Amino acid sequence: MNRVFEMKKKLMDILACPVCKHHPLELNVTKEDAKEVLEGTIRCEKCNVDYPIEEGIPNMLPPESRGQ
Amino acid sequence: MTENEHSENTREAEIREAVRDRYKRLAQKETPCCSSPEEATCGCGGIYPSAEVLSLPAEAVAVSAGCGNPAAIAELKEGMIVVDLGSGGGIDAFLASKRVGSAGKVFGIDATPEMIARARKTAKENGFDNVEFRLGEIEHIPLESNVADVVISNCVINLSPDKPRVFKEAFRVLKPGGKLAVSDILLMKELPSTIKEDVAAWSACVSGAMLEEDYLQAIRSAGFVSEKVVDRQVYSEEQLRSHISADSFTGDLGALVASCRVSAFKPGA
Repeated sequence: MNRVFEMKKKLMDILACPVCKHHPLELNVTKEDAKEVLEGTIRCEKCNVDYPIEEGIPNMLPPESRGQ
Repeated sequence: MTENEHSENTREAEIREAVRDRYKRLAQKETPCCSSPEEATCGCGGIYPSAEVLSLPAEAVAVSAGCGNPAAIAELKEGMIVVDLGSGGGIDAFLASKRVGSAGKVFGIDATPEMIARARKTAKENGFDNVEFRLGEIEHIPLESNVADVVISNCVINLSPDKPRVFKEAFRVLKPGGKLAVSDILLMKELPSTIKEDVAAWSACVSGAMLEEDYLQAIRSAGFVSEKVVDRQVYSEEQLRSHISADSFTGDLGALVASCRVSAFKPGA
């Protein structure tokens, strides 16, 4: 339990929205193991944007730069 | 949007794509970038001794010449928070991680998913618990303001189509009194237009490079003080020619490009 909490805290540590710099962001987990969040989103409520977490990697590219 | 702005945006997107594509391919190679003169991603000439790099003490790497950032890493202290812009395969971030220790933290930012995946894998396999890699743009750093003691970057800012913005972002994430310690390819004089327009030469760090005086001005404009070039290694014609396509320029390439280490501070410690 503690370990999972630590892992999430580490993931969200000083993370801010790349566009508006809002902090803290909101973590939504859809898939995780004991060590990391595998799938989910990191949400900036100010921009109303979800940054996807895919295969354990949070994609914090600005929305207009994604998928290039 | 005017037609000019539109073509400017298209050009920026084109550059971003060329850079990402090049580094994606590099991330898939077995040897890390900059591991040999042949495979160096930039003009750095292969300062890092490839596979052994992670077990090498920082001092050993510090003797390397070229566009590396080992000197900036050597100045890091225990407990510092460091941000590495364009962390790539993570070499500098890992070396920094050893210097700042368990009380410190290193954040590597890179826009190439394959590089981030590779760096994370290396971190996991080697037990680097104090390093976090984040997929993001150095023009839009996904970190809070006023958090870093030092921002490092090794031969990356010259790849950005918007360098003033990178410096503004570096300034923002630094704590008051924090240090910018970057190494980069800079121009000693204007490039011939044939090289400038070559996108391949851009991703090889050459055509995107700024004039040294403009680079320092961009750093000042971001709010930094005490900016200076602490080391400058001018490329020979032979060194430079290997990084641009053979037919794009045939004139004199001497005293045109240099690998420089630049430092600056965010005021108000």
